[in-house]
Amino acid sequence: MRSILRVRGFTSGRWWQATAWFDSPFPINADRAETWLKEAHANADRPNRLHFAIARVADDAVIGGVTLDTDYRKARLKLHIAPWLPDADALRAAALRLVHPWIRDDLELMTFVLHIPADQPATIAAAEALGMVQGVRFREGIARPGHRVDELLYQALFAAWAVRDA
Amino acid sequence: MPNAIVVGARVYLRPVEVSDAETLAAITATETENFMYRGRMPYSPLAFASGIRDGYTQVPPPSIAFAVCLRADDRCIGMVGIDGIDFVNRTGNTFTDLGPADVRNQGYGTEAKHLLLAYAFDRLHLHALRSVVMEPNTRSVAALMKQGYHAAGRLKWVDIKDGRYHDALYFDVTRADWLAARDAWRG
Repeated sequence: MRSILRVRGFTSGRWWQATAWFDSPFPINADRAETWLKEAHANADRPNRLHFAIARVADDAVIGGVTLDTDYRKARLKLHIAPWLPDADALRAAALRLVHPWIRDDLELMTFVLHIPADQPATIAAAEALGMVQGVRFREGIARPGHRVDELLYQALFAAWAVRDA
Repeated sequence: MPNAIVVGARVYLRPVEVSDAETLAAITATETENFMYRGRMPYSPLAFASGIRDGYTQVPPPSIAFAVCLRADDRCIGMVGIDGIDFVNRTGNTFTDLGPADVRNQGYGTEAKHLLLAYAFDRLHLHALRSVVMEPNTRSVAALMKQGYHAAGRLKWVDIKDGRYHDALYFDVTRADWLAARDAWRG
């Protein structure tokens, strides 16, 4: 099944889309977004924090962002989806299905971790279908309107690098 | 007790000053036990000073560190703090770095941690705190359990020690957990 999304590098000139990819509940305007993105791309030589856009295949509209913090052995993945989209959980799951094999086969990392709120069943199902395992459950870690949900840490452990437990 | 923010019976917490950099670097550089880290590291006070300066440039700050001082003589014996503070979800990660060896096993660390948790829960109104410990560090695990933390799980292959990958153990604590632990500690 072809994905409705693609993950690509950021390009110039679409700064007004920043709330789609900027991973924060606080607002960011176009001027600050341009400065922020240029600073985030100041170094192309294996930076420890990588940023990518999540775009719809149909029209290339940016609807989210990928952040990968990595030492090129391990990584922490964040997938942000535009706050105005009602199907963020399904889109995040689709983005994870794209990014997971890239991290495994192109970056060849040993492992990466993704934080998933416990009320996001599509993302959890995608992670488990990809063989990721839940390593940590932080109780009541995420605030929702009027209640809280647990925060789950799912880990991808790539078999090619499997090591004996200490 | 200059600049104290939280005060206990024997220790108090105050902001970390740039002038603490020499002391904190010396505590780390002369650490005699390294089972909790990958290995020894000769830290520079210049790096500590830079980090201390940076820690006061944002309000609200993403991390808060306190100098732990003895009430008896105002001596700084290390740091406790919270990093990765998320003021929307009201969470953060606690850390403790106390030395030198002559102040260990006297209850200063437990008292300092209860002061930190009081600050986090009752002044910042955080909802839950986390802590991470490398698997060989059973001493810190025992301390966290006494402070009210619960085991939250583990991540694998997090760091190398003695030629092997080790897991990181994760813990969390809510205000209710902490209050029960503090009452038990006070007896």
